[in-house]
Amino acid sequence: METLVQQLINGASLGSVYALIAVGYSLVYSILLFSNFAHGGFLVIGGYICYYALRSLGNNIWIAGGLSLLGAGLSAVLTERIAYKPIRERTNITLYLLIASLGMSIVIENIFVIVVGGRFRALPPVIPTDPVHLFGLTTTSAFDLLSLAVAVIFLAALQFFIAKSKWGLAIRAAAFDLKTAGLMGINVNMLISIVFFVAGMLAAVGGIFLSVRYTLYPQLGAITIKAFVAAVVGGLGSLPGAVIGSLILGLAEMLTAGFVSSQLRDLVVFSLLVITLLVKPTGLFGKKPLEKV
Amino acid sequence: MKRAIAVAVVMALAFAASSAIAQETIKVGYLAALTGDWAAYGQTELKSAQLAVDEINGKGGVLGKKLELVPYDFRTRAEDAVNAVRRMIEQDKVYAIIGANGSGINIATAPVVNRAGVSQIGTVSTNPFVTVDNDGKVRPYSFRICFTDPYQGKVLAYLAAQEMGKKKAAILYDVGNEYSQGLREFFIKSFTAYGGEIVSDLGFRGAVDVDFRAQLTEIRNSGADVLVLPNMGKEMALTIKQARELGMADLLIIGGDGYADFMWEIAGSAMDGTYWVNHVAPEDPAMQPFFAAYKEKHNDECKEFVNGVLAYDSVYWLADAIERGGKADRKAIRDALENTKGLQLHHAVLTIDPADHNPKDKDAVILECKDGKARFYKKVRPE
Repeated sequence: METLVQQLINGASLGSVYALIAVGYSLVYSILLFSNFAHGGFLVIGGYICYYALRSLGNNIWIAGGLSLLGAGLSAVLTERIAYKPIRERTNITLYLLIASLGMSIVIENIFVIVVGGRFRALPPVIPTDPVHLFGLTTTSAFDLLSLAVAVIFLAALQFFIAKSKWGLAIRAAAFDLKTAGLMGINVNMLISIVFFVAGMLAAVGGIFLSVRYTLYPQLGAITIKAFVAAVVGGLGSLPGAVIGSLILGLAEMLTAGFVSSQLRDLVVFSLLVITLLVKPTGLFGKKPLEKV
Repeated sequence: MKRAIAVAVVMALAFAASSAIAQETIKVGYLAALTGDWAAYGQTELKSAQLAVDEINGKGGVLGKKLELVPYDFRTRAEDAVNAVRRMIEQDKVYAIIGANGSGINIATAPVVNRAGVSQIGTVSTNPFVTVDNDGKVRPYSFRICFTDPYQGKVLAYLAAQEMGKKKAAILYDVGNEYSQGLREFFIKSFTAYGGEIVSDLGFRGAVDVDFRAQLTEIRNSGADVLVLPNMGKEMALTIKQARELGMADLLIIGGDGYADFMWEIAGSAMDGTYWVNHVAPEDPAMQPFFAAYKEKHNDECKEFVNGVLAYDSVYWLADAIERGGKADRKAIRDALENTKGLQLHHAVLTIDPADHNPKDKDAVILECKDGKARFYKKVRPE
């Protein structure tokens, strides 16, 4: 029983970090109908900005975190302007965007390898990682609880932004039909920039938490492949789907590793993906293209 | 006019050819992971090897010629390593190859170098099959400067059972890594022979997995009093950090030569109280000039000091072999490497066993992590 509770907590905290990243995939997909594989790069950018800000501006996580979110958001906008905008203005085949994003992910990773080196870097201890005993039932890290809480806060804020703000309404309209939304007077380029900015910011939050948990290195973005799987399982384009998919994936990983075999964990994760695509290709919460976001 | 140009071109070509001959060097291939997960190790190796080459060239080179490193990045992938080795041999015409920093890679490149007759020296490649084939027959052109995994596994078991008095061991190993698999196997064999018991034996996928809390939860429940980590630095550091975060404060953690100083960066004070079997002690007085020179040249600490020292001494070993062989010739270099006896390198005295191309009777160093640093604990040669 104790073990089960422990593994459930392990899974939920892993899933919450996946969720922050998966939501970014879903957001971009809902507007432009392609999976932005450079998303892992924004996570790495956010992590490094936070690292250097903490180092040079004193250990103030609020300033460093703010700069990191801003920086990653702007890099995402810049990436869209440089790599995707020229393509989407020439063609409406989203496969080209997908390929461009694969290229960008490799470009970003290698820029970091060359500029800062392949070495592992730990963020200064601004986020507590001490063991916390929960009701005598189980032990977890303070960090796990914090990452769960922060993920919930950011996802709730995003939901609020989309449901209540004017730009949120525009995003919903664009997800409905980007072209028509443009014809109705929405500034489509601005809208896409906002979506990328938000996705980049969420990636930075994920990046900071992943850097604390697994340290920072240029290949850290590779972890987003799991978040992408989570987004697909939950239904690409659906934000609640991305969250639920992430929790399912985090729990599936931990329970498989804990109770079956740690070697089967990736097998289970990717089998889940294949099964989802076979049984319900739109994912758990995937709706028809008309009802996305 | 045309003729004048032709004459000029011919003269220029002749000049270029003659100057090329005058500057002829002894080319040495260097195979290292310069990008990817092992980049920290590989980059240190290359920098250290270059330092040794510069020192040797500064003293007049070998046989009156200068050494020249030809580095290739294998990106932790065996197929890239095989292609790199082919290019070194066929295009660059190297006389010998140093590297790689990983056993699986040396095993993958062994058929190529042995067919071509070019010696390859593994730096930290500790798997037995680096230098012998599946039938136990020595691979004529494969060498190593480090001790082997069976030996290291035995040292680990000796450390846990005899030195520390622990009898219940848990192992967490990388299922996709030959080094990890080998070390685990040889540890189990020796540990049970010392009267110990394996209470938990779990795996993970290296380079993919970064979260080990599921396995650690199981290990915590198994009643193990020692956790053995036969892995690479990143995974071991993450494991140690997560173990301490899960409240496993008293568990003794030991591991092999995958230890690297960058693990402190990842795991911080969680490293305190861990022990590591190693080839080199960072406090070794004989290595201090090297560490100082490295710092001056590269403006950085030699954090991955095992790779640094072994890469540095591999170059000195090879230079000595070329000198003893008497000519820049692939076969002569091989014969001289095989007949290395009592060679005083910086970190150790090297004698090669011709039967398996392994160093004979090298002491193993045990490092103890204490107060933010890996310190020399003792030297062992288990019985």
